[in-house]
Amino acid sequence: MSPRWLSRPRYFLRTAWSGLRESPVTGGISVVTIALCLLLVGSFALLVANMERILDRFGEEFRVSAYLEDNLTDADLARLRERVAAAPGVERVDLVTKEAALERFRASHIGRAALLDGMEDNPLPASLELVLAPEHRNADALERLAEAVDGFPGIAEFGYGADWVSGYHGAVALVRGVAMAIGAVLVLATLLIVTNTIRLAVYARRDEVSILRLVGGSRTFIAIPYLLEGAAQGLVGGLVGLALLFALFHLALPVFAGSLELLLGYVSPSFLEPRACAGLVAVGAGLGVLGSAAALGQGRLGE
Amino acid sequence: MKHLGVEPAHAGAGALVRLFHVSKSYLAGTWALRDVSLELGKGEFVFLTGPSGAGKTTLMRMIFADEQPSEGQIIVLGRNVSRLSPSAVPALRRRIGVVFQDFKLLSRRTVEENVGLALDVVGTPARERRARVFAMLKRVGLQHRRYHHPLSLSGGEQQRLAIARALVNDPEVLLADEPTGNLDPDLTLEIMDLIADAAARGTAVFVATHDHGLIERYGRRVVRLEGGELAEDTPIRRPLL
Ligand SMILES: Nc1ncnc2c1ncn2[C@@H]1O[C@H](COP(=O)(O)OP(=O)(O)OP(=O)(O)O)[C@@H](O)[C@H]1O
Ligand SMILES: [Mg+2]
Repeated sequence: MSPRWLSRPRYFLRTAWSGLRESPVTGGISVVTIALCLLLVGSFALLVANMERILDRFGEEFRVSAYLEDNLTDADLARLRERVAAAPGVERVDLVTKEAALERFRASHIGRAALLDGMEDNPLPASLELVLAPEHRNADALERLAEAVDGFPGIAEFGYGADWVSGYHGAVALVRGVAMAIGAVLVLATLLIVTNTIRLAVYARRDEVSILRLVGGSRTFIAIPYLLEGAAQGLVGGLVGLALLFALFHLALPVFAGSLELLLGYVSPSFLEPRACAGLVAVGAGLGVLGSAAALGQGRLGE
Repeated sequence: MKHLGVEPAHAGAGALVRLFHVSKSYLAGTWALRDVSLELGKGEFVFLTGPSGAGKTTLMRMIFADEQPSEGQIIVLGRNVSRLSPSAVPALRRRIGVVFQDFKLLSRRTVEENVGLALDVVGTPARERRARVFAMLKRVGLQHRRYHHPLSLSGGEQQRLAIARALVNDPEVLLADEPTGNLDPDLTLEIMDLIADAAARGTAVFVATHDHGLIERYGRRVVRLEGGELAEDTPIRRPLL
């Protein structure tokens, strides 16, 4: 049973092509179903991807401050700095001197700098700012770091003001989970519709299938054109879905731009990356092929 | 001259098709075929005759594994048809050419594609396929119709198309069910010569026909069924025309 028929791609392509032309309605239903499914799944992917992008942007600037006692010598400071740098998850340690802290305060409280004018001394402590490695920018790692660093002599207080980061992290994880669950249901529902649609096409051509069997066509020989048809429908459906998503994204963006900017600051939403786009189209093609395979499996081409 | 019962024309080992006490019942209590035994050798040309409903089509369908015998054994090209796994059936059918009584042409494909189908299922390379399809269409006189669809052909043209598809792959066994039923006398002789030619090149040929003139003219072995039973198996009366 050598697959010599594989040397006849032209037969399969030609047969698949005429099959597509013969049943434009069922083909159209498959394409539209897959396009709508991918539009919805793509929207979720877009939402999650942009939420993650925000997380990344803030995460980069996410620092933990270890406020220092005032009476440290240079040697103490150097030793402390080394120990902190070796703590779990720390990528980099920057020193913020008392002067620098004051500068920062002035810069961020323009107009209210007078608050400090009455003070003789600079009341702000020096601090070590710990920049965390990306994989440690979450609540658990923070807690572990705090525990490790807390007892170090010379550290007065340990602050991580960015609680919202871990909260937001959780929110993103939740949205991603919900989106994946809904996406899975959508994909399954689409597969069901596509399978039934293609089954109609196979049924409409049952005479042809029975003749192919009578002249010695193997199961695979008969199935391949249908699988190609399914792949083509899925591919077109995927591209249409992607185009719709792209169009909607660019139509909707200006409408929401104002409120998004308020909400997200300087992070402006962007479309899916090329790889994700290709993945979306591939999911479409996969749906078409799987739908065909399932339809053929139920149609019992074999015996 | 007439022989009743079984008279194998060839030694058992050389036979391409062998039926041992084959019976077929579609409906309980009725027999479409009853205890038929016969053998068909390489290059042998046999007319299968008998009244309508005698079981000619049934016999042929069992040979290419479209139906299973209810009783008995059928050995085709060394394979026991009733023990063949479903996945082995296509490979067997690719070695058998069948001209169906109702043609079974693909109406949505062209004449050329219909003939080529028998080569497509085997995987014949594109160039060889094209050459063989063209030569075959020429032999049955349909080369000028190669881009037409079967439904736009006359009955006789459709029949010739069915014959072309059955013969294009040089099958080892040819089963032709009323292959000349729609042809005028001249075309009938042309087509029968084509079939006789295949037999001369080694194909074992079964031709079901009601046409006694044809049987007389060719003088080959005749197997006659009546009510599903083997009523006559007369060996060759005349050598090749
Ligand atoms: N699929 C089937 N289901 C039930 N009965 C069948 C089936 N096929 C054939 N028969 C019966 O089997 C018997 C033999 O039929 P078959 O078609 O083999 O006859 P035949 O010799 O080819 O006739 P004809 O010359 O009219 O083509 C008939 O009585 C027919 O009614
Ligand atoms: Mg018949």
